[in-house]
This record gives sequence, C-alpha cells and structure tokens, in this order.
Amino acid sequence: MSDRYDEAPIPELEALKPPLRSDIERRRARQRVLACAEPLLARRRRAGSSWEVLAAWARPGLVAASVVLAILAAALKLGGGPARPVPEPVLLDDVLATGANGSVPALLVAMSEPDIDAVVAAALIETNGSSGALPQEQLQGR
Amino acid sequence: MAATSEGVKPVQDEPQLVERVRRGDRDAFAALVDRYADQAFAVAYGFLRHAQDAEDLVQDALIRALERIGSLRPGSSFGPWFYRLLVNAALNRREYLARRGTAQLPVGVPARDGPAVDAERAELQQRLARALSALPRDLESVVILHDLEGFTHPEIAGILGIPEGTCRSHLFRARRMLRDLLKDYRHQ
Repeated sequence: MSDRYDEAPIPELEALKPPLRSDIERRRARQRVLACAEPLLARRRRAGSSWEVLAAWARPGLVAASVVLAILAAALKLGGGPARPVPEPVLLDDVLATGANGSVPALLVAMSEPDIDAVVAAALIETNGSSGALPQEQLQGR
Repeated sequence: MAATSEGVKPVQDEPQLVERVRRGDRDAFAALVDRYADQAFAVAYGFLRHAQDAEDLVQDALIRALERIGSLRPGSSFGPWFYRLLVNAALNRREYLARRGTAQLPVGVPARDGPAVDAERAELQQRLARALSALPRDLESVVILHDLEGFTHPEIAGILGIPEGTCRSHLFRARRMLRDLLKDYRHQ
C-alpha cells in the first residue's frame, strides 16, 4: 500500500526471527500450560455448577412467589368493592332484652354467631320455663 | 504469515470457545492454546530474544488470560485481547530484567552455516536487539508485531489500542530510527 509512510522494511530484522521449536518442545510447553490451568478451570467448573444449583432452586421459588403474588392481587381486586358488613355478635343483653324472644330459636335465626353468654342465657331461659326470667341470683352472679 | 491467516483475526467459533472456557471446559482452553501458542511464542521472543523466557512468558500470559477471561466482553474476539496482555507482559518483563541487569543476549538460530557465518549472525542479532531496545516502547512494539510477526496495521491497532494511522506513523518512524542505528553495521 502506497502512502506517505513509505519507509521500506529492514531486511536485517529477519535475523531476529524466533528459533524453530521442535514438536517435543511445543508439546511440553502445551502440557505445562494445561497443567497450570487445570486448578483454575476446576474452580470455574465448581463455580458454574454452584450457580446452576442456585438457579435450579431459585426457579421453583420464583414460580411459587409469582403464584402467591397473583393470588394476592386477585384477592385484592375482588375485595376492592364495597366492604361486606361484619356481623355483630349477639350479646347477652340483647337476649335478655328480647325477653321471650331470647330463646334458642331466636339465636338460630340470628345473622351471626351468638356470644357464649347469650347461649348460656338462652339455655337457662329454656330450662327455667317460658316466663323468660332468669333467677335473680343467677343474674347477680354475672 | 501466521498472524494474518489465523492470528488475531476473529475465528468464527471463538466466542463459543471463550464461553466454554468461562465455564471451565478443558478442551476449549486447549483449543485456544493450540490456536495461539506458536504465534504468541514468536511475539514474546521478538521482545525478549530468549527462547526460555519467551516460553515462560507465553505460559504466564495464557494463565493470566484464563484468570481474567471474565473481563472479556461476550462475543468479542480473544486474539487482540490476549496479544495486548502478552505485549504488556513482555515489555514489563524486559524492563524488570533490565533493572536487574540480567537482560538476555539474543539466542540465535542453531548453527548451520559454519562458525564464521554464525558469529556474524550473532553480532547482527546483538546489534538489532540493542537498536530495537533503543526505540520508544510503542515504536518497538509496532515494528516487532509488523515486521517480525506479520500482523497487519488494523490488527496491531486492535492489540495496542491505538488508531491505525498512529500505527502506520509509528512503523515509519521506527524503521527510520532503526536504519540510523544500524548505519555503521551496514557500512562495514
């Protein structure tokens, strides 16, 4: 290629060409390099397999986390409408105030689970007859 | 020329080989060694002019390349990256030897042509070695890679990380300086 840098090569430099190596020398050099490289290669293989194990563990974990997130998201979306009224427990006072209505059938038709005291009271009312009144001492005991 | 036929030119399967070496594949590393060791020896010899030193340097450079292969960008060519590593290591090694005062005298081609011719060749080698060492680092690298090892300007630019034009001007200046340094010998 002709350009402004046209200084010709220096033929004497040929004298600095490297000596030819025999096949034995080259093979020996190759073996030395590969022997030195082996621990490094082994470390790379171990590091590679560790990552593969971690990746194998991470994969189902990621899938599970995605599923949980999807379920949570769906639940939030569905629950996003008007909040359902939380039923108030049936209280003992209500049972007593209702008098004759404070009975087992009244508890059964109630909108929510009764308070434990209400159940006891209804049971006592049922046992003590239809008057609907609790014995005074029992009421005072409460 | 080895450099232009299989030297730093990216070989098609090289990114795959490099990827396999990253994972610790022995055969892939052996393939890279087989591909580059001879040319690397010649380059190292060009800088050190001592066969055993050159051999050791190539081994060190190949091991260092393996250690650092993670820093080679995926898909990029191994050759220029490796040769840059080798040239830097060679220059550092020579400076170290020079500081210690143990710079090697050139070891020539084994005797073939009789004692007189061998002695003359040995003298020429010593003169050339001294002349090359007198060049600035960049200029010496370019002349060794181009005139001794047959790398092309784009290849040298890739190895040394310099523009191609700078590479050409370095070669021009290096040759001119070498001619001056060898003037006495030529007039003998």
